Amino acid sequence: MAVSVFVGPVFFIVQVFIWNAIYSTRETVTGLTLTQMLTYYGIVNVINYLTYDSSDMDLQWHIRTGGFITFMLRPISYFYYAICQKIGHRLLALWVEFIPVYALFLFVFKINLVPASFFWTSLSVMLSFLLVFLTNFCIGITGFWLTKTEGLRRAFLVLRDVCAGSLLPLTLFPGFIQKILFYMPFQFIAYVPIRVFMGSYELAGISMSIPEVVGLQAIYVVIMFLIYKLLWHLGTKRFTGVGA
Amino acid sequence: MAFGNKKVYGGGCMIDAVRLHLQGIKSALAVRMAYRADFFISILIMLIVEAFGPLVTYLVYKNGASLPGWSMYEALLIQGVFMLSRGISFPFFFGMVWNTIQRVQEGTFDLLLIKPRSVLQMIIVTGFDSEDLGKLLGGIVLFSVSLANIPFPGLLLWLKFAALFFVSLVVMFGFGLILSGLGIVWIGNYRVYEIFYSIANFGMYPANIFSKAVVTFITSVIPIAMLGYIPASQLLGRPAEGTLIAVVVSIIFLFASLLFWKAMFRRYNSAGG
Repeated sequence: MAVSVFVGPVFFIVQVFIWNAIYSTRETVTGLTLTQMLTYYGIVNVINYLTYDSSDMDLQWHIRTGGFITFMLRPISYFYYAICQKIGHRLLALWVEFIPVYALFLFVFKINLVPASFFWTSLSVMLSFLLVFLTNFCIGITGFWLTKTEGLRRAFLVLRDVCAGSLLPLTLFPGFIQKILFYMPFQFIAYVPIRVFMGSYELAGISMSIPEVVGLQAIYVVIMFLIYKLLWHLGTKRFTGVGA
Repeated sequence: MAFGNKKVYGGGCMIDAVRLHLQGIKSALAVRMAYRADFFISILIMLIVEAFGPLVTYLVYKNGASLPGWSMYEALLIQGVFMLSRGISFPFFFGMVWNTIQRVQEGTFDLLLIKPRSVLQMIIVTGFDSEDLGKLLGGIVLFSVSLANIPFPGLLLWLKFAALFFVSLVVMFGFGLILSGLGIVWIGNYRVYEIFYSIANFGMYPANIFSKAVVTFITSVIPIAMLGYIPASQLLGRPAEGTLIAVVVSIIFLFASLLFWKAMFRRYNSAGG
């Protein structure tokens, strides 16, 4: 985990140089100033430590090796096990990764990492935490049907990160793609919490107030939960395990 | 393909080394062909994953912004060269990294110790990664597309580029040795890849966007700029400052990492496999 404390800031330094160079000839890019752009990347970096998830990998691993069978026999559900594990991991990450990197950004890079509203930001990050978990968990569930899914999983993760705004602000995309992205659930994973953090939301020319967009995020979490329920029902029916 | 082996083995066993390497590739492919569909899908996916790298650059230019002094295709060419260098290294010798980590963790590293070849060579030969051929494909595509959109370089530039591109593979080999060496003592830590990626990022962009101190570091201390920027700048006819120093440093880097690997190797403790 300590590796993150090195890797995150190094990636960030490269971004600082790139954006400084890009902004040297102009004031704004797609409406964002240099300070906003760097704040965006800074927030992406620290929020990621709080919401990072590997439940897809774990579930697929358990299904492929047959270890999943032992979970079927336990008195708690796999879902409960997985989410408790994630909470534990992220609590560890909170002080091993989040706090050191946060301090580094705040004091060394002088990025203004103070949320516009502490209440709405923490609510939004918590919802994002759940949403990342649920989407990844659903990807994990595909392991019931597909045996070797490593490649598919990786492709999905990249697609998710691009569509969620974890790699770049969504406003950089051409207008019609922004419209598509607006209706996809991915923006609620990273883009929405970041904008809530910054205190204003805008995508594809649509502005919403912070409570509205967080409410929408909550609705997506509920939808994702229902999708998980359905997939889980279908998947566990299909699962057969011998021995293990 | 056998760039690595040449370094490890003086001249004498060169042909033998190449033959061994080809054998390694052949058996790795045979294994992978057991699930042919998955293999081709994986390569395709790897190609798509790689394509997202230059996406940011593309979007920045499409929004009317730019890296000062570089046209979009010039910037993309640098990233194309970077991908090409990785596309050759990752399948053909960089697999030594995960191979070492996996073997040390599982205990199968011991098996290589009793083979009648050097351990380093065995680690490279058995680490062929066919999936990473997708990276090579992605590199070729990006490189060709960017090249088609800039004035075509003359023969001399091509020769200089080829020489420097070879040096970029030497640097990749050096990084492979360092990460693999770390894998021997730092059990089961695949995150060494992340460390590499984060540092290698500096080689993907024109050096003039970085501060003076960073430029000095990536050309004359750890030759990261060699991974993409320096060879590409030759092809663009705008040679990077300090190219010669970077070449010398790259060679030193290779030998230093070889020493590092050997030192780590001596520290290897078997847990009994």
